Amino acid sequence: MKILRYFILPAFLVALSACDKRNDNVVEPNVGDAFPQIINFADEGDGGLEDEDKFSFKLGLIDRVDPTGENLGGKVIPLSKGVRVNFEVTDFEGFSKLSDYIKDAKAFYEIDDCTTSEDKDIDLNLTFDVNTGKGSVDFPAGVEEIEVEFETDDKLFDDDVLNTTDRKIEIKLTGITDDTKKAVVNTANKFEYIVLDDEAIHGEYELDVNNAEQFGRFVALFGLINEDVKGLKAADVDEITIEFAYDKFKAVIKLKETEQVDECGETETVNKEIEIEGGLEELDTQTLAGAVEFADDIEQEDGSEAEFKYSGEFKITGKTLALTLKGEYNDDETEEITLNLSK
Amino acid sequence: MEFKKLLFLMLLVCGSSVAMAQRGIIKGKISGQANEPLAGATLLVNGTTSSAAADLNGEYQFYVNAGNLAVTVRYLGYKDTVVNVTVNAGQLKVLNIMMQSRQATLQDVVVTGYTEGQAKALNQQKNADNIKNIIAADQIGKFPDPNAAEALQRVPGVNIERDQGEGRYVSVRGLAPQFTNTSINGEQIPSPEADVRYVALDAIPSDQLASIEVTKALTPDMDGDAIGGSINLITRTAQTKTPAISGVIGGGYNNLMNKGNVQGQLQYGQRLGKNEKLGVLLNGNYYQNNLGSDGVERAINDNEVELRDYQLTRTRLGLSSSLDYRFNNHHEAYFRTIYSRFTDREWRRRYVFKPNDEEIEKLTKDRFEAQSVLSLNAGAKHTFKSFLLDYEAQYSYAEQNTPFDNEAAFVAGIPSTLNYTDTKYPSISTDEDYTNNSRYEFDELGMGNTLAKDKNLTAKFNVGIPYKINNSAGLIKFGAKVRSKDKSYSITQNTFENLGGVPNLNEFEGKPVKDEFMKGRYSMGNPLDVTSLIRYFNANPSQFELQIADKAADEALESYKASEDVFATYLMGRQQINKLMVLGGVRYERTKVGYNSKDVIIAANGDLEAIRPVTGSSVYDFVLPQLHLKYELDKFSNLRAAVTYSYARPNFSEIIPSQEINREDRLATIGNADLKPVKAINYDLMGEHYFGSVGIVSAGLFYKKLDNFIYRRTIFNSPYPTTGTPIIERIDITQSQNGNDADVLGAEIALQRRLSFIPFLRDFSVYLNYTYTHSKARIQSREANQDNANAQEEIRLPGQANHVGNASLAYEGKKFSARLSMNFNGSYLSELGGVSSEDIFINKRMQLDATAGYAITSKFRLFVEALNLTNQPLQAYQGTPNQYIQREFYSYWMRFGLKFNL
Repeated sequence: MKILRYFILPAFLVALSACDKRNDNVVEPNVGDAFPQIINFADEGDGGLEDEDKFSFKLGLIDRVDPTGENLGGKVIPLSKGVRVNFEVTDFEGFSKLSDYIKDAKAFYEIDDCTTSEDKDIDLNLTFDVNTGKGSVDFPAGVEEIEVEFETDDKLFDDDVLNTTDRKIEIKLTGITDDTKKAVVNTANKFEYIVLDDEAIHGEYELDVNNAEQFGRFVALFGLINEDVKGLKAADVDEITIEFAYDKFKAVIKLKETEQVDECGETETVNKEIEIEGGLEELDTQTLAGAVEFADDIEQEDGSEAEFKYSGEFKITGKTLALTLKGEYNDDETEEITLNLSK
Repeated sequence: MEFKKLLFLMLLVCGSSVAMAQRGIIKGKISGQANEPLAGATLLVNGTTSSAAADLNGEYQFYVNAGNLAVTVRYLGYKDTVVNVTVNAGQLKVLNIMMQSRQATLQDVVVTGYTEGQAKALNQQKNADNIKNIIAADQIGKFPDPNAAEALQRVPGVNIERDQGEGRYVSVRGLAPQFTNTSINGEQIPSPEADVRYVALDAIPSDQLASIEVTKALTPDMDGDAIGGSINLITRTAQTKTPAISGVIGGGYNNLMNKGNVQGQLQYGQRLGKNEKLGVLLNGNYYQNNLGSDGVERAINDNEVELRDYQLTRTRLGLSSSLDYRFNNHHEAYFRTIYSRFTDREWRRRYVFKPNDEEIEKLTKDRFEAQSVLSLNAGAKHTFKSFLLDYEAQYSYAEQNTPFDNEAAFVAGIPSTLNYTDTKYPSISTDEDYTNNSRYEFDELGMGNTLAKDKNLTAKFNVGIPYKINNSAGLIKFGAKVRSKDKSYSITQNTFENLGGVPNLNEFEGKPVKDEFMKGRYSMGNPLDVTSLIRYFNANPSQFELQIADKAADEALESYKASEDVFATYLMGRQQINKLMVLGGVRYERTKVGYNSKDVIIAANGDLEAIRPVTGSSVYDFVLPQLHLKYELDKFSNLRAAVTYSYARPNFSEIIPSQEINREDRLATIGNADLKPVKAINYDLMGEHYFGSVGIVSAGLFYKKLDNFIYRRTIFNSPYPTTGTPIIERIDITQSQNGNDADVLGAEIALQRRLSFIPFLRDFSVYLNYTYTHSKARIQSREANQDNANAQEEIRLPGQANHVGNASLAYEGKKFSARLSMNFNGSYLSELGGVSSEDIFINKRMQLDATAGYAITSKFRLFVEALNLTNQPLQAYQGTPNQYIQREFYSYWMRFGLKFNL
């Protein structure tokens, strides 16, 4: 009996451990080193004018934690072993057969600013079947980003009428061949290439710098956000162009003053330029008149950023664009100013 | 001032040593008729001032003059007993005394239950040299208090902060938890939590404890870092050669969750060997509690309302052991261990209504946290002919391990309208069904884990030298202590956003865990199942993007390593002068601290700019004089007074150099490694009368003057760093700083009494206490700006409730017993806001609990306990009392089972 007593406590503890509440329904997340490399489209989409003879998409690796700790926001860590990425044209509009639009394809990557893999005869073994829309390409080890470029028929969409239906092509990544199982592709995202109609708002326009009133309006409008533009004189300007691209507004002021530029070992003399860019927040397409808004951040002296915004409307008459905008920046704003531009 | 006192005491030591000749020692144990130890019993050599009090085990020892002596033994509830004994010079005389119950003799009532537990506590309290409250184990067992925090809420002047309805942190005398230190068996234990020193006492099961002492006026042999009070948790030890096996088997029920609970406890204790030299006690207990809460919260400035549905499973495992070996009557050694593990699995499911953003967020958090405390104490006690010596080494370790803390958020673009006409229940209206999970798009998934570790290595010794001057007994005591602490906190956090392709919430929905929420006032719909989302994450990692800069900042900002070395020494004397006891002395403590942490700098554009390692260190010294007077008005009444100095170290979160420099918002929050501890002078006055039939009526006043009070201060347009070459010319820096003072004034009264003087209520007893506290702390005015940065304002001390009290009515029959207990605390300031209208208060609360028991036999007893019978919520308000920002309901829960004592 006494012996039994001494067994009571251990027996009790065993009983306790048996009824101890376990953590159920817990799944260990694959984080840290267990989280794979991800290959994804570098951009969600792109667009080119009707007469564009090519388009491309880029595939990149998503940033990872920098093991050195130098890049706090992370950095691309190239693959240690190459993989093969499969992709597919999943949809297209504005034409009936893929082969009507896509004529050829190639793949390459940048080795530096002046050299590509093509220059070094490195083959990424791109395959693309225009009948099925399926393709695959090598994503080599040690590379941060590759580009797949399609040669297109530049006459298929090049017309002189306002188009009111979409002309686009949609591509998705469909899988990966990876022996190491350390890389995956995002199969949910898509890359969308849109053919931009140059009879609508898209395309490049020029401002007549010799028209003092128009020049003055331009300076008043964009001098709000750019001190160089604010002090601009017409005599210093060679050309002013405004472009509505796929997802951005861009104004380029080409000055008469020139500078020497070294590009890939070649020195050339070019005009100095002032550029103003803003992301398109709103833009009516497939119409000759509509609303427009673009905005961006500008870095301040103390390193902080302040947003500017231009909003207004446009009207296209033949080759002429009447662009009416009002600018806001910090606590300042402009009046509504109309620029008359020509294609 | 301090030097003079030190000199006086040293002279006392030298002078007394000559009086040691011709003396002997009486040592033994005082027990009741059932051989139970009578802790706190007093022994007095008649005609002298030589006296002693029995310790928790009923054991005592004291030095007496040689000769034929008459020793009177007193114990509340028992008849005074006089024993004649002859002690020769240099002899150690063992005198074990069994006392007879006063009630057993006079009233034919067995002294059990109420009287036995109270008697132990009150006898110790009565005979203590300083002002303290003691709760004995069987007294703890009479209240439905499963953990140490809830047991402490019954003590006068103690208020507790609750978490999910369960007591967690303890505030003593109106001072926040960081002003109270916590010990196990007389030695401080580390805190499992990362940013604080104080211990969450819900991690310590009350079943592990033999008693709890709350010391309100420190003596020099105690750690000096306690302004509010010092809590000592004392574990159990073996008492008799007969194996003592006791335990509890029980279950329970939580009404809100409609779920059961499980509890069990078993204790074995026995003295082994021919002369009972070896004592062994083993104790194990386990409590699994399924609980939850329904809550609504409001963010006034953001016009947001949250619905919070909590589901929790908590377990408490306690294991303790005590081995003691008595070599002979002069020497003994012991080894005590206690291990407690508290786990908390929490699911928090919530909606956040954001009308300003025309959004509703739906989130679920799934977190597991395990707090463990281990304490190993090894020591010895020696009784030599002319002095006493004890020493101890302690290793203690605490950790808070959170192996997973996962929270996912989905967002729906659903506009909502909030109406606060009913301040208790804001109304929510939406144009469409907000519980429709298909409308919620994935926002983010955060998965993290943390580990906080705190380790103490302590060694100490105490020497006591008894002496006699003019037939008045006294004791000189001195000792020293060293403690080395290492504390660290590490964080891993991974937050993912949608890279593309993550489905809407309806793909990850679970089932509701409750039939209704807030009694059907609000709909919660089908909750988000985070585990389901994590499974999807593992299967589809390509759809998730890690927020790398956030990870770097989150992991750097709060993580740290710290070390703290403390050296302390003291000298004190205790002198009995007729009916007056004077205890005085001084304690010196030196603390050396060092920290390593990281700066997180956010650039002006909001990007993470840099993470830089930083270090900090400081050294501070305290000389703490203490004086206690106790005057015995009669054998049942004492008048006490004390003037004591004490201090409180800053929380680690305030002192570590962790810094966040946000240049975008021009705000910096920086630690202050030079932060000085808060120091205090404490005045106490207490009158107490004990009833012979067991009971007490007491009243006391206390006043504390705090200096170097710590508060958070904003320095406007300061250069950064504040010293050296600035890298930022102007930024608003918020930092905890010293400088202002605070006053705390209070009064406490207590009454414990069996109503045996009223014939028809002779089996009833009352337990009443009430504490009033008033405080004023001066801080930099929240209205201050760069033009009047030194403007001040007065606030209440955070955590200080003006009114705290307990009332309990108990019936103790021969077989049946029942108790109704009420615990009340007034409102108190919880958080300081940016302006006074943003101050957050916890509203007053009164909880009603009930217990009942039925003794089947003398060895088996059935019990039932019901808590929070009136469904009292936790309520927080901002600015004015009717402006609720949080209301959380728990309903009632109960426990029942069988207690046995074989």
